[in-house]
Amino acid sequence: MHPPLTSRILLVRTAVAAMLLVAVMLACALIGPQDISLKSALGMTQSNAAPTPDHEILVRVRIPRVLLAAMVGAALAASGVVFQALLRNPLADPYILGVSSGAGLGAMIAVVGGLSWTLWGRSPIAVFAFAGALGTVWLVWGIGRITGRYQVTGLLLAGVVVNAFFSAMIMFLVSIAKSHQLYATLFWLMGNMTEEDFFVLWVGGGCITAGIIALFFLGPQLNIISVGHEDAQSIGVPVARIELAAFAVSAFITAVAVSLSGLVGFVGLIVPHAVRLLFGPDHRQLLPLSSLAGAMFLVIADTVARMVVAPAQLPVGVVTAMIGGPFFLLLLIRYSKRVYWPT
Amino acid sequence: MSRWWFLSAAFVLWIVSGLALVRLPADERIRSRSDQVPPRIVSMAPNLTEILFALGLGERVVGVTQDSDYPAAAASKPRVGTFWQPGVEAVIALRPDLVVTLAFEQQQEFSRRLGRMGYSRLMVNIETITGLFDAIVAVGKAAGASGQAEMLCANMRTEINQIRSATASNQPVKVLWVVQREPLRVAGRDTFVNEMIELAGGENAIGPTLHKYPPVGAEQVIAARPEVIIEPAMLPSVLDQQRRQALEYWNRFANVPAVTTGRIHVIDGDTVSRLSPRLPAGIRTIARCLRPDSFGE
Repeated sequence: MHPPLTSRILLVRTAVAAMLLVAVMLACALIGPQDISLKSALGMTQSNAAPTPDHEILVRVRIPRVLLAAMVGAALAASGVVFQALLRNPLADPYILGVSSGAGLGAMIAVVGGLSWTLWGRSPIAVFAFAGALGTVWLVWGIGRITGRYQVTGLLLAGVVVNAFFSAMIMFLVSIAKSHQLYATLFWLMGNMTEEDFFVLWVGGGCITAGIIALFFLGPQLNIISVGHEDAQSIGVPVARIELAAFAVSAFITAVAVSLSGLVGFVGLIVPHAVRLLFGPDHRQLLPLSSLAGAMFLVIADTVARMVVAPAQLPVGVVTAMIGGPFFLLLLIRYSKRVYWPT
Repeated sequence: MSRWWFLSAAFVLWIVSGLALVRLPADERIRSRSDQVPPRIVSMAPNLTEILFALGLGERVVGVTQDSDYPAAAASKPRVGTFWQPGVEAVIALRPDLVVTLAFEQQQEFSRRLGRMGYSRLMVNIETITGLFDAIVAVGKAAGASGQAEMLCANMRTEINQIRSATASNQPVKVLWVVQREPLRVAGRDTFVNEMIELAGGENAIGPTLHKYPPVGAEQVIAARPEVIIEPAMLPSVLDQQRRQALEYWNRFANVPAVTTGRIHVIDGDTVSRLSPRLPAGIRTIARCLRPDSFGE
């Protein structure tokens, strides 16, 4: 078993992880298909202050993209932790209650409808995906509520069926879409990063950071709920309220992440498990460490996605599954003896 | 409860200060003046590369996409990714004065991204033959080669008219244009291939459909009664192999006229699968499949 968690250990571990994340982000910003020199990127030495290509690539392409990957990774990992705790199911991930298919359906509708406006710098795909994601979670949550006040199974089944139904609708739209529309959605459905405006990053980062902090506040209650509803209720935890808050916040940050980068799979499933295997199941620690680890993981995966087939790029979802899968299996074999699974 | 208030307040403050500090993206800041002739052009699709070279601008093309293989000189230009997964860093590194893109979603988004960084770009929509001619004129205008563009269009039109007038008095030949064999997918009416077939003196055997390239069943093929079946091959190197497989596959449709008369053509897809200045050559290839006697081998 893991030693008991003191606030000192928590602080040290979080600080170390945060420093690691900064280091990883800096390193990854300097790696890319084009070789850039840091000196000329920061120097702006060209005549009449025109930015050098190196500067432009670093500041306008790489840094926004690395920031985006970090935000999305953190959001998915944090909400993965919460979904696994609330559903008491190790297979849960941020997409399990229909976020993915709802967002995918929204995105497909935007593409097939041929919409082309922008709202605050976001394309119709992003706006529709965000709406679809939140709408679907709300629908599934509503159905789950009808099936029984504390019935996790009802909620899970509703999620699975809604996912399947919306996936079928996505397939229908795919089959009638034009071939070049398919390229756009295919990449979106596999998770795809581009450089974003700083304003978009600012707002998205704000939403995600605030969400993760809110979830962290709920950590102690999540610890109790993940053991069992009845126990939690009996010692006076307002289970229904906490659950609703945690679901709403994690669905919100997942929807933000999805609308920024499409459906990046696997991060929300394996990062929480990996952190749990390494450091134990306490949610006060699991949340910050998973967020930071998820950010690191996605920044690295996205750098690989940028590099492997350069100057073209892979959808980052392909990379997360390909690096994440084997890495996670190794961890599982190595550490599973000393772990407590949320059941 | 106070920490929740604190978090909410911090969040609101963050968003508000974002509105004040970072502001909404300012689109359309054009770096180079548009009345100048752009000396460095990047092409984001193989047919755009062909247009630029046909306008005599090959020297000024500094970057092309991976599949730009025609003319031969284009193949030696620096690569900037594929036309559906372009690499933004590669484009920036080339310092282009003009980036020419197509208008479908992926490229529209790419063009928007470059626009946010102040690059001047031209977006052309090439999905029909009219679109191709408009695009040639637009590219010519943006690159300071309007004269060449007019001439190129005129030459192409003359050549197309020649082919068309040679078959104008004849009954159109019913053609099934096979995009993919298993599962079977053919070109529908609302495609540029359909336009090419009609200019070559043919008629699409498939009627109007919901899809641009509809998946069809055996029943529809038999009912359509095509007189000629044409399959464009993706690569010249697999032409013979594909021809063998096609003959074997189509043998199962013994009642289809094209099969009984053996008029199944597997052709090099190069000129007929992209709308480029080589359009007349593509139409001629199709006309040859439809009427071997009047267009000769």
